[in-house]
Amino acid sequence: MKQSRWQQATYRHPYLFALLLLAVAFTVNALLQPNLLEPTTLNSNMRVFLPLILVAVGQAIVMIGGGIDISVGSIVSVTNAILATQIGLSGDLSTAGVIMGVALLAGMGAGALNGLCVAYLRLQPIITTFATSFIYSGLALFILPNPGGGVPSRLTAFYRETIILWLPLAFYVIALILLIWAAIRRTRYGRYLYAVGGKADAAYETGVPVRAVQFSTYVISGFMAALGGIAMTLLTGSGNAQVGDPLTLSSITAAVIGGTPLSGGAGGVAGPMIGAIILGLIRNIISFANVATWWQTFVNAAIIVLALATPGIINLVRRRNR
Amino acid sequence: MPPLLAVRNVAKRYGAVQALIDASLEVDAGETLALIGANGSGKSTLSKVINGVVAPERGQLLLGGRSVHFDSPHAAKDAGISTVFQELSLVPQMTVAENIWLTREPLRRSGMIDRRTERRRTEDLLSLFAGTLRADLTPDTPVAALLPDERQIVEILKAISVNPRLLILDEATASLDSRQVQRLFELIGQWKAQGTAIIFISHRMAEIEQIADRYSVLRNGQTVGAGSMKEATANDLVTLMAPETAGGAVERRRLSSDILATRRIVLQIDDLRTSVLRGVSMQVREGELLGIGGLKGQGQRDLLLAIFGGTPWSGRITLDGKPVHFTHPRQAMNHGVALVPGDRAGEGLLSIRSILENLLVPSWRNYGFPLQMQRARRDASAIAARLDLKMAGLDAPVSSLSGGNAQKVVIGKWLLRNPRILLLDDPTKGVDIATKAEFYRLLTRLCEEGTTVILYSSDDEELIGLSDRVIVMHDGRISSELAGASLTTANLVAASLGVASGDAP
Repeated sequence: MKQSRWQQATYRHPYLFALLLLAVAFTVNALLQPNLLEPTTLNSNMRVFLPLILVAVGQAIVMIGGGIDISVGSIVSVTNAILATQIGLSGDLSTAGVIMGVALLAGMGAGALNGLCVAYLRLQPIITTFATSFIYSGLALFILPNPGGGVPSRLTAFYRETIILWLPLAFYVIALILLIWAAIRRTRYGRYLYAVGGKADAAYETGVPVRAVQFSTYVISGFMAALGGIAMTLLTGSGNAQVGDPLTLSSITAAVIGGTPLSGGAGGVAGPMIGAIILGLIRNIISFANVATWWQTFVNAAIIVLALATPGIINLVRRRNR
Repeated sequence: MPPLLAVRNVAKRYGAVQALIDASLEVDAGETLALIGANGSGKSTLSKVINGVVAPERGQLLLGGRSVHFDSPHAAKDAGISTVFQELSLVPQMTVAENIWLTREPLRRSGMIDRRTERRRTEDLLSLFAGTLRADLTPDTPVAALLPDERQIVEILKAISVNPRLLILDEATASLDSRQVQRLFELIGQWKAQGTAIIFISHRMAEIEQIADRYSVLRNGQTVGAGSMKEATANDLVTLMAPETAGGAVERRRLSSDILATRRIVLQIDDLRTSVLRGVSMQVREGELLGIGGLKGQGQRDLLLAIFGGTPWSGRITLDGKPVHFTHPRQAMNHGVALVPGDRAGEGLLSIRSILENLLVPSWRNYGFPLQMQRARRDASAIAARLDLKMAGLDAPVSSLSGGNAQKVVIGKWLLRNPRILLLDDPTKGVDIATKAEFYRLLTRLCEEGTTVILYSSDDEELIGLSDRVIVMHDGRISSELAGASLTTANLVAASLGVASGDAP
């Protein structure tokens, strides 16, 4: 029952560990790439990190609510396929806006299907979203069987080059999300989210609309994945129906590093954002170190296993030492 | 004028189990009704029907004379019915304030939660139990960091925070210490004066006699009696609850200190220290029943765990004259030490597995490879018979047993290993009187057979009735030892509260 000081600190600030890791990753990266903080380098990094940051935020909200969403990567792919085929390299901006809206709706629809199965049909989140991920990636391949299509260069230029007051576009997106999250945290919905993820039975007995809250987390996650898909498309400027695949594992890793436990009911959104940045920095480090890219996947998986095992290892060590 | 709440002829079935057959009760504004009955008599189900967690199959709920149907706990709460749940309804990851006001957070005009008001209201509620709680318990303390009694109090505060017309207290005193119970009773008096009706569910007869105005008795899902407490004695109620085993607790004949002195010292402890214990020394003799008393959370549980090798410790433990240092329960088990945990659902049982498997979990290694199932089954049924286990069969899941019978399985699995030292961590918490009596007989017999028993109990009468000697713990130390003539309830309560024995009023 007694909590250590570290446990208390991480309860109040779940992203403490992530900040520590960020400092390390940043230092190593800066040693390899001394111009890391120059505006252009910062921008070229952040615009690459942003899609994962967005997806990780959605993933974190599902995880706080006690679930998990294995289909986010496929939703990113669907979004990419829709944008690349429907806007096209020579599309005009107003169509682009409409199509992006459609893509966001599609993401929310995919999330709603997940939410329906998990919250109302009471299926296992991990199995359900794993299964639906195949539906969505199939859909992406149906829309865009071969890599191709794309979006006009004016759009990609806007995404890639926008720097306001020395800070790249990604910073403003992050700030906006943090502001919205801070507001949500102070509403009843915010409280319900943590209650449902912490102990759904207790929340139900207290009168929290448990299913509606669970459902909503998947819709939010679908929306954020679609947003991530839009960012990804604007970043690459092209279509590829498998572009989102690696984001699923990465988003879970980012959320876990960011202090959102797989057991739910704790964590936040700032941590997972930092987690996503850490993963991006690690990828930089790996590419600078000139090793094969599959190391990235290995590192992702290793981090998850380590994050899960750390509390157990700490306990074992403590027992030994007494 | 109709009563505030009338329940008429309610029935409810869970699968094959008919939890309620024909239950009725009435409670008026400003009175306390004791709902009593043995374990499995349907008390909890009836309270769940009243607070909307469970929908009845037959019967009627009349609130102020009007028929009502609650399809959710929320609907019942809106109608002014609030419950202190037996299985706690708090979210461990959230703070005290967040838990108490969940779904009723005070809002600003902007729709944001007014945390300052929430905090102030929580402090007001906590002040109701001021003096019986840790000083550093604030509205911002996460519930995960609270002890069971503190959680229970937060649960009570959460229930009362809605200003209910009817408050249901379902075993709400089970994990409270005597000071907290007295404080709760004072508060119940105030709430009654304000016109709140209270349904009080408890296994502790002394509390029922102290607080209830009227009673309603359930037996096997049927209401078998109701009336005014003034006109009923405790024995009347026990007879109504369990007619075949009237009589309550058995008094065990204490071993005198002269006889005890001739016995071999089985366990000697010197200056035992853990994160909670601050130097405990004691010795226990063969066939002795040593009671451990005191307020909740004074290190009693840690003492048992340390002996069992379940928590790291320093000091000296001597078993049969040989110094031992168990770092894992398995080592303790191999030396004939057994611990029956208090949280039977969490630590004592694999609830979806069969009774047979549960009984044999600590003993499989004695049955070779491949397992000699016939011998195992024979031994298990012998134990089941010895414990008078009421079950459908050895292959039925433990979850099909009532609370008292499940507790017997927890003890039974250790008896199969013939322990020499049996450690018990509040074994009768939430167990009905009939099962308790049976359990007391079992302990008496074990002691006669030479087993040494160390019993921690939150029930003072049980400690007095059963123990040869009681050590009282306070703040990680033994504050006093009671034996012979000084072993009385008054002395035990006085010692628990830190009052020198003899000076108690």
